[in-house]
Amino acid sequence: MKRSKTAVLLLMSTAPLLLSACDRSESASREGLYTSVEACVAQTNDSATCKQAFDKAQKDAATTAPRFANREECEAKYGKEQCAERNDGANHSFFGPLMTGFFLSQMLRNGSPMSGFNSAPAFRDSNGGWQQPAPGGAGGVYRNGAGSAMVPINATADRAVTTSRSGFGRSGSSRGFGS
Amino acid sequence: MRRVVLAERPDWRSKAAECGFGFHTIDDAPYWDESAYYAFSLREIEQDIEAPSEELHAMALDLLDGIVGNEQKLRQLAIPEPYWDWIAQSWRERQPHLYGRMDFGYDGSGPAKLYELNYDTPTSLYEAAFFQWQWLEDQLARRQLPAGSDQFNSIYESLVEAFGTIARGIARPFHFAAVRDSVEDQGTIAYLRDCALQAGIDCGSLAIEDIGISADGRFTDLDDRVIGCLFKLYPLEDMFRESFGQYLPRSGLQLIEPPWKALLSNKGILPLLWDAHRGHPNLLAAAFDDGDELPRGWVRKPLHSREGANIAMRLDDGRELRTDGPYREGPCIRQACHPLTGFDGNYPLIGSWIVGDRACGIGIREDRSLITQDSARFVPHAIVEETRGVLIA
Repeated sequence: MKRSKTAVLLLMSTAPLLLSACDRSESASREGLYTSVEACVAQTNDSATCKQAFDKAQKDAATTAPRFANREECEAKYGKEQCAERNDGANHSFFGPLMTGFFLSQMLRNGSPMSGFNSAPAFRDSNGGWQQPAPGGAGGVYRNGAGSAMVPINATADRAVTTSRSGFGRSGSSRGFGS
Repeated sequence: MRRVVLAERPDWRSKAAECGFGFHTIDDAPYWDESAYYAFSLREIEQDIEAPSEELHAMALDLLDGIVGNEQKLRQLAIPEPYWDWIAQSWRERQPHLYGRMDFGYDGSGPAKLYELNYDTPTSLYEAAFFQWQWLEDQLARRQLPAGSDQFNSIYESLVEAFGTIARGIARPFHFAAVRDSVEDQGTIAYLRDCALQAGIDCGSLAIEDIGISADGRFTDLDDRVIGCLFKLYPLEDMFRESFGQYLPRSGLQLIEPPWKALLSNKGILPLLWDAHRGHPNLLAAAFDDGDELPRGWVRKPLHSREGANIAMRLDDGRELRTDGPYREGPCIRQACHPLTGFDGNYPLIGSWIVGDRACGIGIREDRSLITQDSARFVPHAIVEETRGVLIA
């Protein structure tokens, strides 16, 4: 079959439909960055998910942590004694930072977590900033992974005083800007 | 490939209203048009559209390493110099991208020919991914289509999967933005946001005009929160020249589509593709325009024209077609003229969707003229068993 098995609308639908399984219940997601399973449980009250998320993150850390040729380069970025020697399974060894936390995100429906979660290892660099591996990995909908590129985690929203608005959107069009 | 006339579903307007399809009629003219559909064979879809789409997508991405560090090519693509390093870095980091649409001229005979890449702000997504899908299911249930008919359309599943894949790499808070007064663009981001939520990503939306800037050059939402990642249904090249554009490279804002898409959603990529793959069956000859008179059999297109605006087409017989629009200034390319084939006086353009890196569906817009403009109507399609009726008839 060359078409989607189903096509669901969560927010756009205003009435229950026969063909598209609409679900209009309030949905949101919960995410957090935790330094231990205990900290995760304290926040979420969900020890099973926290444990699974931790285990998965630790497993992923072995393959997705940034790789350095020697300990000095790794420690320059992640701090003293924050790096360990690893092996890629093909007798090729390298150095990578130790996992210092993990990231957990879950979809909520009516305030309760739905099944399934996303989790990822997190690493704290020597400046105190948290990072996680960029998305990737071969296969799926993307052909090439991003390797071990790291992206910052913004687990908490930052605020700043806005000094002006309307700096985008002035290029005139009668019909919109999509193409 | 055939154009088949079929009665509309009697209740499609109420279904559209229930499903948030607010732009099926635009300025009193029909946009969604199910008075006919295009029937394809599975072979046409898989060999002539799906496989070339994935190949062309890979070919386009493979050009980027050679563009980001090449001053001459960045100038040919009219990328403003202050954005060069920012774009290059976004590519080196492989900042996540979501989707794009290739437009093909195709009529069932001969290879599909690439007209352009809409890789920054493609629309007609909701109608392709959702409403077209629902049309097929309804018409199958009503027995108006041959049993077993299918559709090249896993766009929805691919979008949810793509959002799930890149979820960890999306900075928060994550907002979707489009211009406030465009029903069509607002409908498109509403659908994308719906898919992102289904992938478990918390996200909001705001009008592109409402984005703010702080004293230290960071972008803010209406609650003064610093925006982590912005999906903007708004052209990168317009952002570059507007007053907030100067802050983009140092703002820390993550964009989807990412900055490197400025190199692909640019008709200058067509001559570069041709130079790298001269004679490829799915490519039309293309060159940067020198401003001279357009020879017969060529089309002139501005680098950034959208919706078929400011196109000049000189047919083989010397006739000339021109469209007006807002893109009078700026560099152009030339492309060998490969006119669309008419089906009962309609000229269908195939929009082939790439989500992540996967070719996952098509949407067809047909116009009454050879140049597809914003007057085009969206017409659904189906994959129908190849008829053996010819032998019987």
